[in-house]
Amino acid sequence: MEPNTTAGGDEEQHHGDDPANATGESEQKDELEMVSASHQEEQQEELAQHQPLEAEDLDFEKWKPKPKPKKTFSQKMDELKRYLWNPETREFMGRSGKSWSLILLFYSALYIFLAAMFAACMWALMWSINPYIPTYNDRVMPPGMMMSPRGPNGFDISFNASDRRSWVKYVAALEAYLEPYDDSIQEQQNIQCPQDAYFIQDDKEESAERKACQFKRSWLRECSGIEDPSFGYSEGKPCILLKMNRILGYLPGQGTPINVTCAAKRGGQENLGDIEFFPKSIFNLKYYPYYGKQRHVNYTNPLVAVRFPRVQLDTHFSVQCKLNGKGIINDSPTDRFLGSVTFSLEVGA
Amino acid sequence: DSYGMFVEMDKMDGEMDVQIKKKKKIKKKERLENMKKEMDIDDHEITIEELEMKYTTSVTKGLTTNMAQQVLERDGPNELKPPKGTPEYVKFARQLAGGLQCLMWLYLAITLIAVVVQALVIRDGQKNQINANMLVVGDLVEIKGGDRVPADIRIISAQGCKTRSPECTHENPLETRNIAFFSTTCLEGVATGVIINTGDRTIIGRIASLASGVGNEKTPIAIEIEHFVDIIAGLAIFFGFTFFVVAMFIGYAFLEAMIFFMAIVVAYVPEGLLATVTVCLSLTAKRLARKNCVVKNLEAVETLGSTSVICSDKTGTLTQNRMTVAHLWFDNMIHAADTTEDQSGQSFDQSSETWRALARVAGLCNRAIFKPGQDTVPIPKTLSRYLAKADRQPQPKMAQLGLIYLLVMKGAPERILERCSTILIKGQELPLDEQWKEAFQTAYMDLGGLGERVLGFCHIYLNEKEYPRGYRFDTDEMNFPTSGLCFAGLISMIDPPRATVPDAVMKCRTAGIRVVMVTGDHPITAKAIAANVGIISEGSETVEDIANRLRIPVEQVNKRDARACVINGGQLKDMSSDELDENLRCHPEMVFARTSPQQKLIIVESCQRLGSIVAVTGDGVNDSPALKKADIGIAMGIAGSDAAKNAADMILLDDNFASIVTGVEQGRLIFDNLKKSIAYTLTKNIPELTPYLIYITVSVPLPLGCITILFIELATDIFPSVSLAYEKAESDIMHLKPRNPRKDRLVNEALAVYSYFQIGAIQSFAGFTDYFTAMAQEGWFPLLCVGLRSQWEDVHLQDLQDSYGQEWTFSQRLYQEYTCYTVFFVSIEICQISDVLIRKTRRLSVFQQGFFRNKVLVTAIVFQLCLGNLLCYCPGMPNIFNFMPIR
Repeated sequence: MEPNTTAGGDEEQHHGDDPANATGESEQKDELEMVSASHQEEQQEELAQHQPLEAEDLDFEKWKPKPKPKKTFSQKMDELKRYLWNPETREFMGRSGKSWSLILLFYSALYIFLAAMFAACMWALMWSINPYIPTYNDRVMPPGMMMSPRGPNGFDISFNASDRRSWVKYVAALEAYLEPYDDSIQEQQNIQCPQDAYFIQDDKEESAERKACQFKRSWLRECSGIEDPSFGYSEGKPCILLKMNRILGYLPGQGTPINVTCAAKRGGQENLGDIEFFPKSIFNLKYYPYYGKQRHVNYTNPLVAVRFPRVQLDTHFSVQCKLNGKGIINDSPTDRFLGSVTFSLEVGA
Repeated sequence: DSYGMFVEMDKMDGEMDVQIKKKKKIKKKERLENMKKEMDIDDHEITIEELEMKYTTSVTKGLTTNMAQQVLERDGPNELKPPKGTPEYVKFARQLAGGLQCLMWLYLAITLIAVVVQALVIRDGQKNQINANMLVVGDLVEIKGGDRVPADIRIISAQGCKTRSPECTHENPLETRNIAFFSTTCLEGVATGVIINTGDRTIIGRIASLASGVGNEKTPIAIEIEHFVDIIAGLAIFFGFTFFVVAMFIGYAFLEAMIFFMAIVVAYVPEGLLATVTVCLSLTAKRLARKNCVVKNLEAVETLGSTSVICSDKTGTLTQNRMTVAHLWFDNMIHAADTTEDQSGQSFDQSSETWRALARVAGLCNRAIFKPGQDTVPIPKTLSRYLAKADRQPQPKMAQLGLIYLLVMKGAPERILERCSTILIKGQELPLDEQWKEAFQTAYMDLGGLGERVLGFCHIYLNEKEYPRGYRFDTDEMNFPTSGLCFAGLISMIDPPRATVPDAVMKCRTAGIRVVMVTGDHPITAKAIAANVGIISEGSETVEDIANRLRIPVEQVNKRDARACVINGGQLKDMSSDELDENLRCHPEMVFARTSPQQKLIIVESCQRLGSIVAVTGDGVNDSPALKKADIGIAMGIAGSDAAKNAADMILLDDNFASIVTGVEQGRLIFDNLKKSIAYTLTKNIPELTPYLIYITVSVPLPLGCITILFIELATDIFPSVSLAYEKAESDIMHLKPRNPRKDRLVNEALAVYSYFQIGAIQSFAGFTDYFTAMAQEGWFPLLCVGLRSQWEDVHLQDLQDSYGQEWTFSQRLYQEYTCYTVFFVSIEICQISDVLIRKTRRLSVFQQGFFRNKVLVTAIVFQLCLGNLLCYCPGMPNIFNFMPIR
């Protein structure tokens, strides 16, 4: 079975050249050709049915996307108005009155419930928390240090001894600060504690009021403002008061009193001169522990008054006072007021 | 002549492009004038001499090299300009960030290995082989079998030249006889022609440029996100303004209140959301890539899920794109052949004598060749495959059977029958009487009605004496009998549907997606294939079918009774857009046949007008405008042209329609899961915002800092929100209708309100309870906290008293504030863990869905807890990120 390829091939050539045929020269010699031609006709029919592309099909411009017509402002406003109040359906913002009231009802119920729950939680919290002893006091430890008076811009004391107006504010602050320390008040409210030891009163009932030790203003002598109501400011020998922040139940120094030192960080120690501390440069143990403001109602912080009697005039000093003792941190990189206080001092003539 | 017109239109359009830049009014007038003027020019009608004149060329010698150079400078190279788009480096940078870059690079590599097309051109009377992009108008080129036609060519002379083009003539009614179109392939023969159009001015070029003219529509997900941003912005401004007023009322300075306003608006922005959405979409894209769908644009993933109409091309997508024997008629019976891709189906009874004869005739008549290694493939199999190459013209062929010759012939059935006097039945030659002729007619009509291409076969044994061995047959002389032959049978062929398609179409249908067939093929074939794959379901009738059945004129049929409808390009052309919309509305099963690229575009637009999200599948350049116009264009990876791939948003690497169904499923799942993710992400906005509001209004120490908020947004909560993307479908999502893009929003008011005002409120409540507890335990009772802000934040106040009378320095207070941040952070985290469990399901109960089925989610929760612990307890955190160890 060998296919006779020549014959087939020839035929194919004749019938395959449609493009050439179409242009013209139609010689229908034999029957086969005629068949082929009539077949072509049939294909032509088919073609007509296929509807070749026409001009409008190739009008590409027509198919390019057109921008959507923009709404005018008044149309937009109308739409908005309609959205806010639709008079036909009597709807406000797309919802009927009933729908809105149900929503309101649900949310008020939800929020009332949440608020009640919050109130209950807060009540339970306050109920569970001891009003006399804080649950934790690790954030407030170790104690910070504070001074009085303070300047308007923080910790700076600068004045001219001869200019009363430049220091009167410091004096007023000190006076106000020392008011609770008046001897008469102290004697009336607090007891005398002779011993130099912690004044522990744990044997009492938890809620019972604790006694506080006296700290008399007169003990501060030159810095008490009793003899010199200008606390030495008028003479250029200023006093400041130092205090250790109180912490409930804290026993500073573990048996040894905390000691206070002051030094000039800038300006030169020799120019700052001697520094005097009243009553002593320590915080006496008898003032500790602190029992909180509920039980220790009349408690007054022990103070250390610092006097600069021979400070060089017209010199800018930066003075740092520190607490020193066991358990005290006075060089924290993050908190400059932890166990130390730094202030600037400038005294004019 | 319609053909002439479209050639002119080409030119006109070229000019029109220039005109676009001019003012509109002038343009309109000029366009009309141009249209009239250009009507006279007619490249295919004019004589060759006129053609020579027009292009100053010669049909024998071609252009002169100088002339060619000039024209090249004028027109530019003969290549399609890639559509204007994002610069490549931007794409590159974008791709670098994506997880898909490997696949994309692979794709890029494939695209680059495109072979440079060469063309044989005659210039100065010399034949030269040059690169096709150097060709110019007027060049004389020669093409032969296997070449790609390098430009639009007016054929001058040809020998047996046939071109086939999947892009133009085959699919579209761009048929003519003496023009060969750019990018078509010359199947056989040789032809010489003059180039009339090059590059973007060719028909294909015009179609391709149409694609770049079609604007990129916003993807549904982009619209959704815009909508969502509107909601968020509205709420943010509402909140901001409310608290601005409140702050002013309380007595803050105007500037301070303005700062609060800005801070609230900024705090309202869900920072983690974009990351979540992108990651969710990438995950799905990756999953799809594993299933052979490469997603070019991440947003397309979701688009596929919301698709409600798929306009599918027929050839190559629904069908196998090869002619295969579908039916045979012999022994007065129609036999169905196996059309499956791997020949695994049932075959017919092959025992008859007639089949043997028919098989022999068919085998001899076809021009297929065995590929190496196919020698063992049984004849019936190969036959049914390769008969495809046959054509319809009667072609006698000689074969030697031992001592005698056998003349075999195939061709259009009616022509073959005319030449026959006998018919082969059960191996017996019976006279071909009227009865057989009627039987033949019935069979022919039946097969034709199936949309199949029918061929007739006949043979005759030649007398040994008249045609001895070595007889020289001459087809020109016809020195052999051409009548009185013996009819062997009919074989009909079709491009059969892919095996997976009917199932996939069925799935689409249950998923509420309309599959519309849009093809360039003949309506009958299109209808047959549509019925075959289920696009026209069983029992559905077209208007014509009903008219036939009821024997009434077509006009009397109620259109709405007909479920199916077949519209051809001609009808479509006469339809207004309203009519088309109406048709699409009342017939659920639509087939468009004989459509042009522009008409594909109209169909897509019409569907979109009706509110559908349209997916278009296609492979050819002619599909590219529709692919671009569609909400999601899906190109075929194997058969697809570059233009189609460029215009598409998604590429099916295996050309399998069924992959689309997977894509739809994944798209729907991601929409559901994105909703969950977004709801989860949104919720924590309120507990992040309320601390600030309370801080302003009640003046408590700040409960939650910005760094902490950023940690929630961008560190701890990202993983759980992404893990929701791994959530399994809650129900059979493929049995639901596609979402209504107008109603089923990604983020609607209900979701936002539920997240913000319910869950968010509860979370804030939890946060504040914990905050006040943490403060109270350190000595700051809630009532003291109220109004404490100015003192708390005073840096000079180093001895602020708490409720117990203890004195705090500023830094101590600050660390206490950090503790509060951490406490609030942990509260939100814990709430968010329960929130993620709430969000796991939208319809089912979490017990039905299963707590631990989503392993990623469980891992995410563990991760969240670990990260939270690390942030709280890692040394150094207080000073770096403001986290404090909490009890």
